[in-house]
This record gives sequence, C-alpha cells and structure tokens, in this order.
Amino acid sequence: MIEVRGLSKHYRIAKRKQGLLGAIQGLFIRKYTSKKAVDDISFTIASGEVVGYIGSNGAGKSTTIKMLSGILTPTSGDVLVNGIVPYRERQKNAKKIGAVFGQRTQLMWDLAPRESYDLLKHIYQIPEAIYQKNLHEMTEKLQLHSLLDIPVRQLSLGQKMRCEFVAAFLHDPAVVYLDEPTIGLDVAAKSRIRSFIKQMNEEKGTTIILTTHDMQDIEELCRRIIIIDNGQILYDGDLHAVKNSFLHEHVISFELDEEKEEILIPGELEGLVTYIPEEGNSNKLTLSFHPETISAAQVIAAVLHHYRVRDVSIAEPKIESIVQEIYERGA
Amino acid sequence: MRYFQLYVCFFSARLKAMMEYRVDFLIGALSILFIQTTSILFVKIVFDHIHTLQGWTFHEVLFIYGIAATGRAIHQFFFENLWVLGSAYIRTGNFDRILLRPIPPLFHLIADRIQPDGIGQLIIGVIVLGIAIPELSMPWGGLETLILALLILSSGLIFIAVNLFFATFSFWMVDSFPIMSTTYQLSSFTNYPLTIYNKGLRFVLTWIIPYGFTSFYPAAVFVDQGGYHTVGYLTPAVAILCCMIAYFFWKRGLRSFASTGH
Repeated sequence: MIEVRGLSKHYRIAKRKQGLLGAIQGLFIRKYTSKKAVDDISFTIASGEVVGYIGSNGAGKSTTIKMLSGILTPTSGDVLVNGIVPYRERQKNAKKIGAVFGQRTQLMWDLAPRESYDLLKHIYQIPEAIYQKNLHEMTEKLQLHSLLDIPVRQLSLGQKMRCEFVAAFLHDPAVVYLDEPTIGLDVAAKSRIRSFIKQMNEEKGTTIILTTHDMQDIEELCRRIIIIDNGQILYDGDLHAVKNSFLHEHVISFELDEEKEEILIPGELEGLVTYIPEEGNSNKLTLSFHPETISAAQVIAAVLHHYRVRDVSIAEPKIESIVQEIYERGA
Repeated sequence: MRYFQLYVCFFSARLKAMMEYRVDFLIGALSILFIQTTSILFVKIVFDHIHTLQGWTFHEVLFIYGIAATGRAIHQFFFENLWVLGSAYIRTGNFDRILLRPIPPLFHLIADRIQPDGIGQLIIGVIVLGIAIPELSMPWGGLETLILALLILSSGLIFIAVNLFFATFSFWMVDSFPIMSTTYQLSSFTNYPLTIYNKGLRFVLTWIIPYGFTSFYPAAVFVDQGGYHTVGYLTPAVAILCCMIAYFFWKRGLRSFASTGH
C-alpha cells in the first residue's frame, strides 16, 4: 500500500544575522544552511493498517506526509502509494487519498457543509449513488443531520471537525492522512471522531496514518506506531511493546484532607513505589510506580486506607516523554 | 468539457456564498462604477479644454478607454483570486489543500473566487463603448462587433497573463502582491493613446509588459491615427503568446514550490 525507502528531504535555509543591519545584509549576501527535515527513513504500511506517526513539533511528521501526498518532492529516496509515485502523478494520487488537517479546513466557510460536499462530489467525480450512500452513512455515524444546512462559520469547532471528516472520506479514499484531527476538541467530540475513524477502517478497510500529540488517540486507534525525531525513525512497531518498555513511570498525586508534619508511605507500598517530594505542599503525596509491579488501583487503595484524601490526580503519560526517553536511551 | 461543468459548480457555490453578503456585493459593484465614472469624467474635463489630444478626438479616446475597461472586467471577474495567491494561499498553507485535490491547481485557484466588482467594470466598459462607437465616423456592423469582441477577449487574456506571471513569483517569495500591483499600475497608461507617451514608455508597454495590446493596438484596428492598423490585428496572437509564457512560468513555479515548500 505505502512503501517508503530511504526517503529524505533537505531544506535550504537562509542564514540571517540579527537586527535590521543583518536583514539588509541578507538582501545581498545570503548564506545557506541545509536542514534535514526527513533523513533516510524507510517503512512499509499494509492496506487497512492504522498507524500512529508521532514525534515532537518539527520532528519531520508533516514533511513526511507532504511527500506521501505529493505536495513535496523528496530530495532523495522512493515513495510509492497505491502503486503511484505521488510527486510524479500528484493528481492521480490525490483521487485515492483523503486528508484532515486539524488546523485547516476544506469546507467553504460561508456555505452549509452540504454545498461543500456537493462540490467535492464533482471534484472527485463520485457517482451519484455512491455519493448519496456515503453521505447518508457518514452523517449517520457522526450525527450530522441537523448540521448539514447550517453555514460552516456558525458551527462550533467540534461540529466543524465532524463535518471535515465527511469531506475527507466521501470519495472512498484508500489512504487517509490525519494530522492532529482532534486538536482543541472536547472529550465528547474526540470520542465520536475516534469511533468514526475506527468504523471507517473496519468497514471500508481504509488505511490511516495519524499524527497526533494526544496519547489517547493513539491508544484507541493504533496498533502500530512510528516514532520520528530529528527526521529519523526512532521506533517502528507494536504500540504495547513500546508502552511497556518505556512508559514505566506512572505518577499519582493525592491531596490530603489535613496537613501533616511528615507524610509516610503506607507500609504495604514500601519498596514498590517512589515518593516524589513536592515543594511547599505539606498535604500532597505524590508517588510514582511501575505498572507491572503494582497496579494504580492497589496504590490508591493503600493510600486511602491510611489517609483521608480530598483529591486524586493521575498524571497522563505523554507521548513526548516516550520520545524523550527513547532518545535518551539512544535506541 | 468536464472542467467547464466543474467551473459551473464552483461558480454557483461562490454565487451562493456571495448572496450571504448581499450588501457587500452591491457596494463592491457600485464602488467600481463610481471609481470608473470619475475617471471618465476626468477625460471629459480634459477634452472640454482641448479639442484633440495629438490628433485623437474625445470619442476616440473613449473608445480606447472602453476596450481597456471591458478587457479588464474579464480579468477582474474571473481571475481576481490571482491577487491573493500569496497572502491567502501560500502564506497560510492553504495552497497545500489545493494540491491535495485531483484537479489542476491553477483551475482550482481561479475557480475558488469570482469578483462581482468585475460586473461594475463590465457595465462601465460597455456603456463607454456604446457612447464612443456611434461617434467614430465609420460604418459599424456585425462584423465589426465580432472583431471587437475577439479583440476585447484578447485584451482580457493579456491582463490575465501578466497578472498570472507576476503572481507566480509568490512561489519563491511567499507573497508577490507588491510586484503585481506595481505592474498593474502601468495598465492605467493604456487608457489613453500610446502615441502621447515618449519612446521609452511605448517600448515598455509594447514589448516588456504588453499592456498596449489591451486597448490602444486593438483600437487602432478601427481608428488608425498612427499607422498601427496591422499591428492591432496581432492582438490575439500576442494574447496567446503571453498566456503560454505565463502558464509555462506558473508550471515552473509549481515545480519549485514542490521542492521547497513553505
């Protein structure tokens, strides 16, 4: 489905000196530095896979996706999507792909989503019967009926994003690129969108490449992840394997009902958890532990047994921290 | 044919969007009417003091003016989006969206917008031609109208080609609007007969930025005041050549954009 071999993209960046003088100088003399946005990456994605493509900002995610979709020409290396070299036959490739960019819309701002869909039908030459069927099914799944005839500018962000997904899947693309599709959405909108992605993948066999900073997106949708940093692939494989080997630290914070001179770790947790001292807070107990040694439930139960607790917060594992850790280990 | 149908789809969507802002639509069309009317009044005031301008009568100058206005209207109505290629598409990254669609990017860009101000421009152009033509002291019939229509279409194509050429610089410099608008300013020279300008300016408006072919040379086909009758007939050829050069340059810009990105 998607084959990437030795793919690289180097940008030439003009080096400027600081200040106005530097800017003026830059008009006449420019020195260039080369930035390797993507540096010799290779992977294969099979038809029907859902792959999480993750990495910090500027790691090379967008550049890769732009090369896969034919917007950018690689500096070197090979890309093959549906048997097409995207940058050579961009329009042919475009017919078979869809995309949602969380920050950018493909709906017409002043018109109702239905008008945009109708235009997309003509752009992608979708046969009327298939168009009607897809539109019906997808609006059902995303519960959009009531929104179809309201101008996009009057929709909320969550409503807009749901409409955006119909636009991306309407022409039955073989591959869909999702770039931060749940950014800024509330929990309900996120979960509706995730279940839609899952359904499209299962029912239509759509291959999906998802870039996101939202760990939950990844956990719910992807079995496989590719981690990229500084333009290079750090990890490519099973999501659970990487989580178990890298996400060893879970952190739970307890806010106690009363201030204590000294907060002791409950005896049964001795040796299983680590106490993280917090400055200034004499009523806070923060513990970190490895989920394979002890479960979060056990930790909470033990603390509740010894203390009166006002509040509990569980720190969410951040995808960035995995990347950081892999990087430090020099995987 | 497919693209004609597709254009109609884009067009009707744009029209619907425009109807959302009826007042904007009216103000746009009216303001162009106002601007154009004042500049024609200016020509009128000049001719109230002089009888001819280097041999050109008021109505002959109006005729030139009318051809330019009508040609400009074609460009303004259909190709207005070229102005914002840099600011609304490349700078914002929206051009990537266009590249993700299975249709030619230039078509997509053009179809994305229609500019109703062009209607005001068209009305003015047609009115001015209607006033000027009966006073040209030459027989006017169906054939003349047909030839004029062809020349006006060519005039529109030249406006389009020049703007496309300079809009394309946006692929390298993000937004080439300043270059575009500076060049476009030159076109106001061609509201008047080229013969009143010095050699240098005439050369530029003929050979470098061929705005001369948007009004003066086409007019010379009918009103020959300086021996440019035959040159006038070259207008369609010049238009086609300009479009080819501009389109070739556009393709070149696209390729460069694909290798650098923004």
